[in-house]
Amino acid sequence: MPCWKRIAAPLLAALAFPLAAGASDLPPWSERVLGTPLDLEAVAGLPMQERIEALRARGERLFIGQFLVEEGAGRPMATQAIIPTKRRRPPPQRFQRLAGLDAGACASCHHEPVIGGGASFTANVFVSEGFESADFDTIDPQFSNERGSPALQGAGLIELLAREMTADLQRQRDEALATARRTGAPAIADLVAKGVSFGRIAADPDGGLDVSAIDGIDADLVLRPFSQKGVFGSLRQFTVNALNHHHGIQAVERFGATWTGTRDFDEDGVEDEISAADVTALVVWQATLPAPSRKDDLPDAWRQASERGEDLFADIGCTSCHIPALPLASAVFRDPGPIETAGTLREADVEAPLEIDLAALDFVKALPRDAEGNILVPLYGDLKRHRIADARDPTLGNELLGQRFVDRDVFLTAELWGVGSTAPYGHRADLTSLDEVIRAHAGAARPAREAYEALADDDRQAIIAFLRTLEIPR
Amino acid sequence: MRRRGTALRPAWAALALALLGGLQAPQTGFADEAPAPVPVFVEEAKPAGIDHSYTGPWEYFVGGGAAILDCDGDRRPDLFLAGGDTPSVLYRNRSATGGPLAFEPVETGIPERLLENVTGAYPLDIDNDGIMDLVLLRVGENQVLRGIGDCRFEPANRRFSFNGGRGWTTGFAAVFEKDLAFPTLAFGNYVDRSAPGSPWGTCDDNVLHRPRAGEAPDYSESFVLTPGYCSLSMLFTDWNRSGEPALRISNDRHYYRGGEEQLWALPPGRPPRPYRRSDGWRHLKIWGMGIASTDLDGDGLPEYALTSMGDTKLQTIDQEGDDLLPVYRDIAFERGVTAHRPYTGEDMRPSTGWHAEFQDVNNDTLQDLFIAKGNVEAMPDFAAFDPDNLLIQQWNGRFVEQGDRAGIALDRRGRGAGLADFNMDGLLDLVVVNREAPVSLFRNLGREDEGRRPKPLGNWIAVALSQDGANRNAVGAKLSIRVGARSLTREIGIGGGHASGQAGFVHVGLGVAERAVIRVRWPDGNWSHGYRVFANQFVLIQRGDENARYWYPPR
Repeated sequence: MPCWKRIAAPLLAALAFPLAAGASDLPPWSERVLGTPLDLEAVAGLPMQERIEALRARGERLFIGQFLVEEGAGRPMATQAIIPTKRRRPPPQRFQRLAGLDAGACASCHHEPVIGGGASFTANVFVSEGFESADFDTIDPQFSNERGSPALQGAGLIELLAREMTADLQRQRDEALATARRTGAPAIADLVAKGVSFGRIAADPDGGLDVSAIDGIDADLVLRPFSQKGVFGSLRQFTVNALNHHHGIQAVERFGATWTGTRDFDEDGVEDEISAADVTALVVWQATLPAPSRKDDLPDAWRQASERGEDLFADIGCTSCHIPALPLASAVFRDPGPIETAGTLREADVEAPLEIDLAALDFVKALPRDAEGNILVPLYGDLKRHRIADARDPTLGNELLGQRFVDRDVFLTAELWGVGSTAPYGHRADLTSLDEVIRAHAGAARPAREAYEALADDDRQAIIAFLRTLEIPR
Repeated sequence: MRRRGTALRPAWAALALALLGGLQAPQTGFADEAPAPVPVFVEEAKPAGIDHSYTGPWEYFVGGGAAILDCDGDRRPDLFLAGGDTPSVLYRNRSATGGPLAFEPVETGIPERLLENVTGAYPLDIDNDGIMDLVLLRVGENQVLRGIGDCRFEPANRRFSFNGGRGWTTGFAAVFEKDLAFPTLAFGNYVDRSAPGSPWGTCDDNVLHRPRAGEAPDYSESFVLTPGYCSLSMLFTDWNRSGEPALRISNDRHYYRGGEEQLWALPPGRPPRPYRRSDGWRHLKIWGMGIASTDLDGDGLPEYALTSMGDTKLQTIDQEGDDLLPVYRDIAFERGVTAHRPYTGEDMRPSTGWHAEFQDVNNDTLQDLFIAKGNVEAMPDFAAFDPDNLLIQQWNGRFVEQGDRAGIALDRRGRGAGLADFNMDGLLDLVVVNREAPVSLFRNLGREDEGRRPKPLGNWIAVALSQDGANRNAVGAKLSIRVGARSLTREIGIGGGHASGQAGFVHVGLGVAERAVIRVRWPDGNWSHGYRVFANQFVLIQRGDENARYWYPPR
């Protein structure tokens, strides 16, 4: 062992990182991000607050750190695709804004107004399945969709809401199937979760299910709350995707030998680039990011306008999709979660999921509860996809490619919590003001948009005043 | 030299593996060489309610088949087991979804005498009534049983004007030929015991029954496929992507003189004719016992596994120039599937292979190969302990024997078999019919994890096709399943294996894909649009429907 390690390692381990995160053998000037493996079992045995702190410390380091080539950054022979896919030939440049790599760190694109937030147009990403167009170097939209980087604050609560809604919807499906089998007659069931309608299903006595009338959700009735398209089911799935796409850091749980036959799928000379434990740390860090809140130090004029604007926001129908709050029964975040499929760590892959009780966090404690004790999550959304563009105004359907079976003009309702901190707006982050993005609503949102446009100037200003109180605290 | 990223250090690895259930590949040389997941099978025939053996004298040294079919319309696979001189039995599937396997024998209405002397069975909806029928291969008259619902059958040889012959039948295949409303049936016969000098050099002819035009099946005409070379297995195959099926027959050299493997052309409306040397067909002489086919290299042309005594063959077409000739190259050695002697135990004598079946048993998208093994009876030059093979395909295209790790290496003489998801959990289970020993019924528990609780395997879908009119279950259809940049293919066929066939959901492993797009080439050659489906679902595709439907087992 080099002499500096003998001397410094024990001390640095105690100073640089929480002890539970694992002893460091790196000098303090090390540029490595992934050098110190996380001792997940030790972390899991800690009291809740310490567990959260340890995981957050590790997760933040991974989220902020600029990954190095020698620890796996780059994917010379792998595309950005979610399914491990080989490139035909190595790219001429390691970094490339379209097919990626496009970022050295997660925080490169998630940093406004604070780390974990969104970013301006400059940090847009190009979303492509990456299967057939591994080598494209054009911005022709036939190859990818350009998207703004969303803020992650409150993502843990969003995922928990989605898990509960998925369980509700799948229970309704199972009940319809059981009824049809029992009665020998087709059973129709309206799908409703937390007050949000997702259309209806028809169950046949033979166990067949007609899902042609479902609305705003995938046919497997898994509510996928992440990405602007609503096509990723969990922070973990998204994290594994993004690590490969944006950084070329390939998670063992998907790109490792079990599913690809090699421990170095991207052929960059680095094996087993990021472990399941480190992905967990990243997930927990994101899941515990404080949710956006309401600005509470308003001058009187703003406060009055905001109060009136909040009422108007509801009156003109905006809250039919931008629902002010959804009730959450349990704030216990388990990782891995219940809906993962192979390629993302699953519950049954582990002896027991790691549990993080978000209710122990101050920002969750501060949220109101309803009479049943549910936490009221003020997301201003419905976690449902809607057609948001039409022939008269295609602005918000500004893409040529569908994504993951979702049509090009259908998007997840944007959660408006934090909207006062996340300009510019729209899926491409190319609408400069709240007024502009409201006036871009079409399709299913056209009635609300037209009601907004019909308001007097000061009423529209009141709505803007209200929306601008929804902020991500600095 | 390879670098390690966040590779586990030993102390941490031990802890993490406990918590994360061995997600990391075991850090051993063998795991690096064969990292594809290995399923864990547990044998539970007896607790599942199946106590059945394939028994009998010389005529039953071969055969011993299983038919996997849904006999009661609940879409779960039921099980018909040939018994030789023991009566065959039909078992209804009572397995709880995701739970232990459970079966119960059912009263079929089939006369007892027809259930005796059965060597094998294949399911097929012959009369297009939506109820699965059953073809019994027998020593004596073959029998077509017409399904009448709720696992009951009635003899239908007379109804279908079918002459079951008096042979010793051990092979079967069926296909719906172009413009024919009912299936063409091919029967492979073994030794003609009544011929002078039997059994040596007295192979019986095989028979092809084409339906006559009409409103109901009428098999009053048949073609004798002569010469026959003691067939033990046959399948229809579109070997050259012509859309016209040909009949591939695997023959046992043990009894024939001057025989060989065979391929018969079936020109529409004309008599079948054998491919000859002048057509490119090459002489191959093996102890042909079973056939399986799949497209391993994605070129649209099937590869064939041929079981034998000694080494298994794996044939791929050897195309030179533009003309596609039925010239095949054996790639068994380079792909690691020769399986020529037992992989465990001390017996170094050659193996005896029977049923062969390609399936993706670990749901990693790569087709694996199961081979039932077992001495003919007591042949001294061949292994006595000869466990069944589970050859798991790796990402480099080679197959690695994992039967021992998977838990299927029993000391039984396997014959027919079938891989199917009996408890509807997305994992293929396994039934093996054994000679003079109990049937083995293995439940797939998931990925082997060095003795710990098994972990989940890859994603999957199971697809059932249907169409109106003739050929309701789309026999002869091809599935092209798109996952990422890859296309996985499956063909729906009746035949092959060893005396064993199945109908029902077609299982497809999806690996880490969360969704897939399925295109169907229907038996008439027309392609469907792409059906978008999510992983881990049972999928129903009715021809002409805009969307696929999902199906859910009872919970």
